[in-house]
Amino acid sequence: MRRETLKRHAPFVLSLIVGAAAWEIVGRHTSVAFMAPLSDTLARLWQLTRSGELPRQALSSAALFVTGLALAIVVGMPLGLLMARLKWLREALDVYVMVLYATPMVALIPFILSLMGFGFAPKVLVVFLFAVFPILYNTIEGARSIKPELIEVARSYRSREWALWREVMVPYTLPYTMTGIRQAIGRALVGMIAAEFFLSATGLGQLIMTATQSFDTAAVFAAILVIVAAGVGLMRLGRMLEARFAQWRT
Amino acid sequence: MSITASGIRRAAPAAAQGGHIVVRGLTKRYGALSVFEGVDLDVAEREIVALVGPSGCGKTTLLRCVDGLIPAEGAVLVDGEIVREPRPGIAMVFQHFGLFPWKTVYDNVAYGLRMAGVESAEIARRVPQFISLVGLAGFEKAYPYQLSGGMQQRCGLARALAVDPRVLLMDEPFAAVDAQTREILQFELLRIWERQPTTMLFVTHSIEEAVLMGDRVVVLKGRPSRIHEDITVDLPRPRSRATFTLPRFAELRERVWSTLMSEAKKAEFQVGP
Repeated sequence: MRRETLKRHAPFVLSLIVGAAAWEIVGRHTSVAFMAPLSDTLARLWQLTRSGELPRQALSSAALFVTGLALAIVVGMPLGLLMARLKWLREALDVYVMVLYATPMVALIPFILSLMGFGFAPKVLVVFLFAVFPILYNTIEGARSIKPELIEVARSYRSREWALWREVMVPYTLPYTMTGIRQAIGRALVGMIAAEFFLSATGLGQLIMTATQSFDTAAVFAAILVIVAAGVGLMRLGRMLEARFAQWRT
Repeated sequence: MSITASGIRRAAPAAAQGGHIVVRGLTKRYGALSVFEGVDLDVAEREIVALVGPSGCGKTTLLRCVDGLIPAEGAVLVDGEIVREPRPGIAMVFQHFGLFPWKTVYDNVAYGLRMAGVESAEIARRVPQFISLVGLAGFEKAYPYQLSGGMQQRCGLARALAVDPRVLLMDEPFAAVDAQTREILQFELLRIWERQPTTMLFVTHSIEEAVLMGDRVVVLKGRPSRIHEDITVDLPRPRSRATFTLPRFAELRERVWSTLMSEAKKAEFQVGP
């Protein structure tokens, strides 16, 4: 039993070991200005955590990330359902959704800066813009794939519009929206760092920038490691929620 | 899977009787194409009328008009009230079952009651009764994909029966299940009907099923289709497997068959629309 588990996970574990070894070796043979070995990075990570610097900045970033993503969900899901339900709204807004989904959001940051300045709000807007479109897009696609027969069943049972949303549209679409949210998590992390770089420097973005300026490469990698871990963890959580809401699908 | 003794008990309080369907001059057009024209039909309280016709003759469309799901020219009245949209007391059973795949059997059966605004204590009382009436006790928490086609339609039937309808509209309810299951479900439906006779308009393409279920068999045919024959089925009730062996059953089946087939042949060789 244990042997088999070991065998199954061997490629994954082996790949991690090789990756860590490569990082360590390359790090030791490269200038500190470009790269820090894994051991130094982990040591610095521990140091930064002990001093309270890393938790403080991570918390600040998390607040930005959560606010932006939450707004994206709160706007993206209802708007997506509405666009699926109302043909005229879909036809009116479809083009903007497509254009904005395809726009590199980073390019909009200077514009947002000149419009809104350096506060918390413009940064939230950046995270929101990064995150909202996959949620919106997947929700529309999902809600539009509801079988018309099921809508007819609801009508036959004299469902009111609100009940149709609650009983049919939302539960059917939720797995699709969750897929969108999972994609949005990755984009929101990018948006978070971009906002912290280009608008007022705070959080992990600030930590990375100041560390870069003082050639503290180990701290840079430590911060990146934290972001990557958060990203992977959140995506996993997203996948779990997705499976939970898609239980009824075979 | 058969009806249990406890399930057979009257599951609902005495139904508010009624359920008299009147259809007058009903015509459905899609653009220039008429599906059916000038359909007049009466279904009395507690009567079962089977509606048969070749595929494409608009049986299902007619049923959807009676449910108020789609508009048509002419009039549909149930107990004297004009039907323009789905009305309370009229429940439909769908060929595709129409179950919500994200709801359990329990929640699917509760759906109609919830939409009708029945209070939750009453729902909690009635749903288990109807689940056991259709023989699904023990499957309350199952999702539709975990059930066979026959069991899914039992669930669809329970959902329709639970709202205590005056009129049941059956849209080829057993067409999507295998032959054996179909027979079992037919007799269970007949037994449920004997317990609580409800007006039924029963669309089917099976001649046997039409004769077995119906007090009358109405044949819809032609292009656009009209009611061509209205055959009274004078077979005794309650009907059972023994009904199939009656000489009269064979006679009636032949009569419906010949009415339908003369048309089917013509339609098959018809050129153009």
